[in-house]
Amino acid sequence: MAELVLDKRSRPKAGKTWPKPEGATNLREYQVYRYDPDTQENPRIDTYFVDLDDCGPMILDGLLWIKNNIDPTLTLRRSCREGICGSCAMNIDGANTLACTKGMDEVSKGAVKVYPLPHMPVVKDLVPDLSTFYEQHKSVQPWLQTKSPTPDTEWLQSREDRAKLDGLYECILCACCSTSCPSYWWNGEKYLGPAVLLQAYRWLIDSRDEATSERLDDLEDPFKLYRCHTIMNCAKVCPKGLNPAKAIAEIKKMMIERKVA
Amino acid sequence: MKTHPGEKGTGTFIRQRVTGALNIVFVGFLIWLVVNLAGADRAQMAATFANPIVAILALVLIGSALVHMRIGMYEIIEDYVHEPKLHGLAKTANTTFTVIIGAIALVSVLVLAFGG
Ligand code: SF4
Ligand code: SF4
Ligand code: FES
Repeated sequence: MAELVLDKRSRPKAGKTWPKPEGATNLREYQVYRYDPDTQENPRIDTYFVDLDDCGPMILDGLLWIKNNIDPTLTLRRSCREGICGSCAMNIDGANTLACTKGMDEVSKGAVKVYPLPHMPVVKDLVPDLSTFYEQHKSVQPWLQTKSPTPDTEWLQSREDRAKLDGLYECILCACCSTSCPSYWWNGEKYLGPAVLLQAYRWLIDSRDEATSERLDDLEDPFKLYRCHTIMNCAKVCPKGLNPAKAIAEIKKMMIERKVA
Repeated sequence: MKTHPGEKGTGTFIRQRVTGALNIVFVGFLIWLVVNLAGADRAQMAATFANPIVAILALVLIGSALVHMRIGMYEIIEDYVHEPKLHGLAKTANTTFTVIIGAIALVSVLVLAFGG
């Protein structure tokens, strides 16, 4: 069966409550998932208190404040801290999003709960193993493929054709959508998931690309594309406001059109 | 187009959508039939099914509903049942169940339509 519950070794237990910073009066509680593969212990939920008078407003600011001031072993990915690189994706307050663009004030009162992206193997703490996700991205050959002779200057594209890439090119491959998709949870090895399918569509409708037919052939499979049941979690969580479900529906339309044409 | 769901995705997807749309259209016919035959005895039922339009529509509805049902269950099996033996067994059971129900329904309609 699909794994509907975590095995015993993966279930988080109550962890350590770290002391409140001395003298601070404006505090925000953080409950953070911790897992260290070098120990035999279950994951645990540690509690920290962040001094808001000494910290920026975003969830990521709070996590980095904890790392710098309380517990340097807390492990997370981040780079750009402005919603461009996609590395700080995690599950915050029950929904996948980017820690750097989510404000602490957007999380309802009480503790800020931070977990790694769901249903992925955890490397350490808030860092998921995204190797399969990247392999799947590679599998859709996300680059321009042409058969005509290469032009002297660039491959031209009309403004109208370029506009078709809006709502797709902005994807930062953060994996928030794929790891929120129940179909991806149950069949993540075989179903490509919303992020990768959105990327596939980005190349399918690029007017300059000449491998459309081969790309569609490659998606003709009961799992790669058709595990999407239009649950729409992907569109709900995408921190860039994109709609992978719509891109998937467009691919299905292209598949049907060429089948019945 | 393949007749088995699952070999290829798009054929199954199209069949699922077409039968889904057909089923919606046929709900009206089904309601009419049920209301019309409420409290009817066997002779009245036979008289209704003796009308070839009713019999044919009933058969199309049964076929469409069963194809749709089988694909729906097939999707659930693909999504959730991963253990290979159980997976194969579940798919066979799904097809067997569909065929049995289809055969019973087909014979019932034909008996009413021709035998009375
Ligand atoms: S579609 Fe949105 S959520 Fe999905 S990977 Fe791209 S940016 Fe992230
Ligand atoms: S719409 Fe499709 S891809 Fe998006 S969450 Fe639902 S099943 Fe997953
Ligand atoms: S740190 Fe780059 S997206 Fe958050």
